[in-house]
Amino acid sequence: MLSKIKVVLALAALAFTLGLQTSARAQDTMKHDDGMKQNDGMKHEDGMKQNDGMKHEDGMKQDDNMKHGDSMPQENNGKALETGTFHGKVHNTSGRATIYRGEDGKLILRLTNFKTSNGPDVHVILVAAKDADDDANFLKSSTKRVELGKLKGNEGDQNYEVPTGTDLTKFQTVSIYCERFNANFGAAPLEKF
Amino acid sequence: MSTQIGSLLFHRKWILAISLPVLIAAWWAFRPEKLWINQKVNEAAPFASSSEPQPLYTGRLQGEAHQTSGRATVYKAADGTEYLRLTDFSTSNGPDVHVLLGRSGDNNLKQEIVKGQLDSIELGSLKGNQGDQNYSLPASANLQQYDAVVIYCERFHAVFGMAKLEQF
Repeated sequence: MLSKIKVVLALAALAFTLGLQTSARAQDTMKHDDGMKQNDGMKHEDGMKQNDGMKHEDGMKQDDNMKHGDSMPQENNGKALETGTFHGKVHNTSGRATIYRGEDGKLILRLTNFKTSNGPDVHVILVAAKDADDDANFLKSSTKRVELGKLKGNEGDQNYEVPTGTDLTKFQTVSIYCERFNANFGAAPLEKF
Repeated sequence: MSTQIGSLLFHRKWILAISLPVLIAAWWAFRPEKLWINQKVNEAAPFASSSEPQPLYTGRLQGEAHQTSGRATVYKAADGTEYLRLTDFSTSNGPDVHVLLGRSGDNNLKQEIVKGQLDSIELGSLKGNQGDQNYSLPASANLQQYDAVVIYCERFHAVFGMAKLEQF
């Protein structure tokens, strides 16, 4: 009797630890207009065994195509790659910076809910992450940067073209930068969306 | 007498001649009037995608009781329904793990183990501890109040991880 209980207990403990260790992997796709919701549930059932090999850099897109058979040209149109929020340094700055990939492959930086103080000769730049921590009030002259253009307005939504060939793994921070005084008005470190 | 006045005038001219350019230069450099003048712009998004789900809020997941990472984003679908999507998601597996919306200011969420009742909105059991997944939001969910996604183990009241949602 006692040994039976022991065996049951041991089995239960084993099941428990196994339950902790197996990782369940889900792979939902983005919801679209058509009956994606069903898909959601279905995919989940077999998510555990199947998906390991399928996890892909852009698994979302691929998956979609596989399931539906129709290509989704819009998927590439305005896909958000990276995003981050501004914090003010020299001047109060707030809002969100997001980098999109347009359908032509061009990268576009979009600022939304954006607000900073107005100032002279203010530019939008990308700063190489290792060169300056985004908390710097002033940029060192050695800091590598990519110029995106003059700040169009100190409030509101606005777009800037990122030069082709810009390495986003290197230039990871958006800075609102006053060229005249070398001042970092505010910075937004970008993270993968 | 008249020479005194003359030299005074002469001095004033000099003072003017020096201070005026200095003032102008200072104005040009600092443009102080810009402190009160706002320049508002309102550009449209660079692509037409109204049929695509639009992100409303997003945040990075941070681990508390267990290492948790990834991004949580609330989308609004074309039909007006809202749903939560987790991407690049990874947490540890565990018993009875749920996805909740909580209040980011809630003191309960600042501890790894919640004591008492957590003020939250249930979104469902965690579908998987890794990978991309969607959870539909109840229409009544007020994301201004419930502005944090919480990965929560109901059995042990453990906050696996959470993400503060910020406006996209």
